[in-house]
Amino acid sequence: MRERNSAPASIDLSVQIYTWLLAAYPERFRAEYGPHMAQVFRDVCQRESRRGGLPGMAALWARTSLDLIRTSVEEHIDRGIDMNRENFVRWSGWALMAGAVLFAAGLILGSFDTNYSDPIGGLDAFYEISQIVGIVLGQILFVIGLLGLRAGYGTRSGSVGGALLLIAVIGGVVSLGGMLIMNSSELGWTAWALGLLTMTLALTGYGGVAIRRRVFSRWNFAPLLAGVVIPVLFGVSAAIDSSGGSMEDWTFALGVSATAVGLILLGYRMQAEAATTSQALA
Amino acid sequence: MAEGVKGPERFLPLTPAVFHILLALADGEKHGYAIMQEVEDMTEGRVQMGPGTLYGSIKRMLAAGLIEESDDRPDPALDDERRRYYRLAALGRKVLRQETERMAGLMALARRKHVWSGVGSRSIQT
Repeated sequence: MRERNSAPASIDLSVQIYTWLLAAYPERFRAEYGPHMAQVFRDVCQRESRRGGLPGMAALWARTSLDLIRTSVEEHIDRGIDMNRENFVRWSGWALMAGAVLFAAGLILGSFDTNYSDPIGGLDAFYEISQIVGIVLGQILFVIGLLGLRAGYGTRSGSVGGALLLIAVIGGVVSLGGMLIMNSSELGWTAWALGLLTMTLALTGYGGVAIRRRVFSRWNFAPLLAGVVIPVLFGVSAAIDSSGGSMEDWTFALGVSATAVGLILLGYRMQAEAATTSQALA
Repeated sequence: MAEGVKGPERFLPLTPAVFHILLALADGEKHGYAIMQEVEDMTEGRVQMGPGTLYGSIKRMLAAGLIEESDDRPDPALDDERRRYYRLAALGRKVLRQETERMAGLMALARRKHVWSGVGSRSIQT
């Protein structure tokens, strides 16, 4: 700043005090804009000193103090909102990974059950309980994970991507509801299957969007892998059933495992990218 | 910024600070202090932005894609080369146009309702 040497001492003192007061802003904002704010304040000080002398400087300080208090609070609120969202996305990434493991374990263990109406006890009962606990907990965690996915990536996924994520969340909720009423209503099975199909089909569609728009920094294929296998399994199973056969257990286990791998990769990316953003915001 | 509304409309109505900054940049790129001076000149001193309001708004406008930082740096002999210059982005120009159209619509409505009748309406209607 070329005029600094000729500036009156009151201007240098004012700028020094203002520079100290910039500590009221969040560190990231201060690092980005602090020097420019101080420079603008120096320019305004020089103008007000020329125009109005000491009373002009006093009026400038009154205005600037109010501005500093109001905008530093705004910036802290902004930073808090960003941090909360990134924390939610990070934890929902972990929820998606845990949900994938529980869901896959529940379905695979449940497929070993030979008698669905046996009394509690024995190995079959273990398979049944594992299936119920795994699928119910898994689906709760899926809904949390999908909500986090929408919160963190909805905007950058565009209107179609955002809508598909919303449909996936709704599918997850319907499926979970169906699971919870399965014992008391026949509609439960239908709701569970349709909800799961909706959720995975929407995730498949979102996978296409993610690949096209490069929503994630890496592994943009993960949502497609997480979504596409379950609808294919539904289709293959229906075709085999109609011809009087039944699906091989290993085909089913392989398909569910592929879905789980897709969800784990997706959840890992979510928590890793959110953790990086949180560090940058801190 | 209303959720669910697409295009420039989602930014409307603009806050006074954002509107005045867009207006100040409408005729070319400027650095922070020049924006502040232009706003004061345009409004005959009625709007005086502090550095916090100016740079808080600039931060949000950059993030929303309304303005962009200019890569051009001034001649060090003419200005401080550390200053950052900002200019309107294409979206910012659209938003500014839509906001002024919205305001013009409100002016037309107020005129139809004779809001200014008997209080210097002639100068307002021109």
